[in-house]
Amino acid sequence: MIELRNVTFVHQNGVKALDGVSLKIDSGETVAVVGENGAGKTTLVKHVTGLLKPASGDVLVDGQSTSTTSTARISRKVGVAFQNPDHQLFSESVEEEMAFALRNFGFAPQLVEERVKWGLELFGLEEYRKSSPLVLSGGEKKRLTLACILAWDPEVVILDEPTVGQDSIQKERLAETIKMLSSAGKTVVVVSHDIEFLWPIQPRVVVMKAGRIVGDGPAATLMQDRELLDSARVVQPQLVSLHQQLTKRPERPFTDALEARRWLERGKRTP
Amino acid sequence: MMWLSGGFVFRRGTSRYHRLDPRVKLLISVLMFVTTLIVRSLYELAFVLAFMVAVAAVATVLRRVLRTMMLTALFSAFIFAVNFIVTGNLEMSLLYSLRFVAIVVSTSLFFITTSPDELEQVMKTFRLPRDVVFAFVTAVRFIPVMLLDTIQIMDAQKSRGLELEKGNIFRRVRNMIPILIPLVVNSVVRSGELAEAMESRAYGAVPQPTSLVEYRSSLADKAVAAAAVVTFALVAYSFYYVLPVHFP
Amino acid sequence: MSDILEVKGLSFRYPDSTRRAVADFDLSVPQGEIVVLAGPSGCGKSTLLRAVNGLVPHMYSGEYGGEVKVGGVAVKDSSMRDLAQRVGFLFQNPENQIFMFTVERDVAFGLENLGVPREEMRTRVDEAMRLLDISDLAQRAPHELSDGQKQRVALAGVLAMRPQLVILDEPTSLLDPKTAAELVALVARLRRELGTTFVVVEHRLDLLVKVADRLVVMNEGRKVMEGTPRDVLFRDEAESYGVAVPAITQVQKMLAKDRLVPTSGLMTPAELAAAVGGGSR
Repeated sequence: MIELRNVTFVHQNGVKALDGVSLKIDSGETVAVVGENGAGKTTLVKHVTGLLKPASGDVLVDGQSTSTTSTARISRKVGVAFQNPDHQLFSESVEEEMAFALRNFGFAPQLVEERVKWGLELFGLEEYRKSSPLVLSGGEKKRLTLACILAWDPEVVILDEPTVGQDSIQKERLAETIKMLSSAGKTVVVVSHDIEFLWPIQPRVVVMKAGRIVGDGPAATLMQDRELLDSARVVQPQLVSLHQQLTKRPERPFTDALEARRWLERGKRTP
Repeated sequence: MMWLSGGFVFRRGTSRYHRLDPRVKLLISVLMFVTTLIVRSLYELAFVLAFMVAVAAVATVLRRVLRTMMLTALFSAFIFAVNFIVTGNLEMSLLYSLRFVAIVVSTSLFFITTSPDELEQVMKTFRLPRDVVFAFVTAVRFIPVMLLDTIQIMDAQKSRGLELEKGNIFRRVRNMIPILIPLVVNSVVRSGELAEAMESRAYGAVPQPTSLVEYRSSLADKAVAAAAVVTFALVAYSFYYVLPVHFP
Repeated sequence: MSDILEVKGLSFRYPDSTRRAVADFDLSVPQGEIVVLAGPSGCGKSTLLRAVNGLVPHMYSGEYGGEVKVGGVAVKDSSMRDLAQRVGFLFQNPENQIFMFTVERDVAFGLENLGVPREEMRTRVDEAMRLLDISDLAQRAPHELSDGQKQRVALAGVLAMRPQLVILDEPTSLLDPKTAAELVALVARLRRELGTTFVVVEHRLDLLVKVADRLVVMNEGRKVMEGTPRDVLFRDEAESYGVAVPAITQVQKMLAKDRLVPTSGLMTPAELAAAVGGGSR
């Protein structure tokens, strides 16, 4: 679905933001991109939607090179929810906000109405249909930007730091949405610092450091590699640390607290 | 954009010129500016331009200044064409268009060698009210932040299928709305947060705030200022009384 | 020890709102404590913080009831000039509280405003920069700093005023985990070295619970829970108020119920593993 071939990108100030990045994401995968600030995560995302064009190498979305395709055309297939909702909300009402992209993509008026209604219901925003998006709370704004994207049903959904400023109830809802999307066959890419949030989702994890991909694999394997995580300044999930302290056995670490308890109780019975 | 950022945006430097008292740099630029206004012939102007190039070399910004000259020359080709069509006078038309280049360079020399911090100091010397100086400081301080905001907003809207370059002129203006509204909203939010932070750090607590750094003119600064004034006087005098208007 | 912060029956309603943002709120914080304030978005945390440093009611007027005292003096009757020296406020977005073109001038901003003489200012600015390990950044411009560095610069500007009480409003939300952990360690160090009191609003509790003395949970303007981090996080209703109970604490809580681990204090993964006899399998 998405393929980066040896992509290099240099910022105007001479900083190499991407340095020979190769990455292939198949249709239906759930991928988390982690790494410290400035590691090149956002630059990577911008390459996937063609907002930035590689200095060398090639980026392919659904077989088409982004160098020759406009962002508007790529976006029909790849929806990105950027970190700050205030960077995109501008309409008079929530429903207009949702209709904006659909009209840009040439949806028929009736379809626009249907999709907007569907999105508002999915994210529990019906009561704000006619209100200005600017009066929504921070969490609601985040949900609205996600609704805006899902409304046009892109094949790939990219979330850039979706948990910033969200309380634990909102985060749980977000994790549910991600699971729902991946079970609906969507390709989901989550860029996030929030390792504790990502861990129960068990995505494929791509670790970035100074513009390079330094680790790529299932969360269960990758998150056990202390050396790799330390070098990329990524913190290990607490349950993985616990598991590693308890046993050296090669098995998948606990994904939630209940699993940890079950494991420990089993140990009690068979000392 | 390139012309603007190359020609007027300060970049840190370590030359002797950079280290001059900002007021002296302002004086030199003003004098050069005035000189370009009083030249009457091409070769006088050539002398002024050569002088500016020399200053640029001393300030180690020669390459930037030469690039600004080239880019400005493209603009002034237009001034030349209009003048020549209207007056039919080749020398006058050349003089006007090149004078424009010289004016830009004299101003540019000041801005690219003077940090915003020093600009603030210059404003304080002119005894502008604290609020005015602070408004200026904040405005300049947030230019890079606002630019970044604009890029992020454009990226977000392009990712929602907005095509900025599509359609006729009216359509294009309308395309700017999804960019401008978030930009304004963000600026309003930002000013609110700035106001809170200012209050929390005692802005306006005393009528005469102190300053961490002190700018004092050194002897060298004063000497350079004096030399600049003398040079200007000599040049102006020779333009008017010594040299003929037209070179024989 | 005397309380540096006393909030008694505080209520505040913004003029354009029908609901009180803060309602009948009580809190006392002794000198040198680190208190964490948690609760769902929109629960009134921001308003409470602003009532402590005086922005409420000095900048935001509204229906004000009850009392807030810092160092024994009522905030309502103090001037912002006076409060700025006693209560430091680190806002969520460091970008919007850095005003000047160089780091050292920004650290000096508050002192310049107070008219502190240059020599004294120099000492205090250098001291604050040294405390936060940013002396080498003194001449940098704000746009040349990373997010973590901006946060430190903003905090240095706050500390240069030598406040008794420092408020941190979601200080780690924009930082990556390692940088966030460094900031939390810094807060603990400052409390130890300077005896500064901290009131911190934060969603990310996994880092803070180890250094905090107390956790206060707010909901709809009211205080709904208060106690040591362990006491609060072990109670089942914590999660219903949007408090993120760290994964390791969830495990500890379950095991403590079965009496498999001690019930006092919060444990790190390593401590928990040691308590149940880790490494045996």
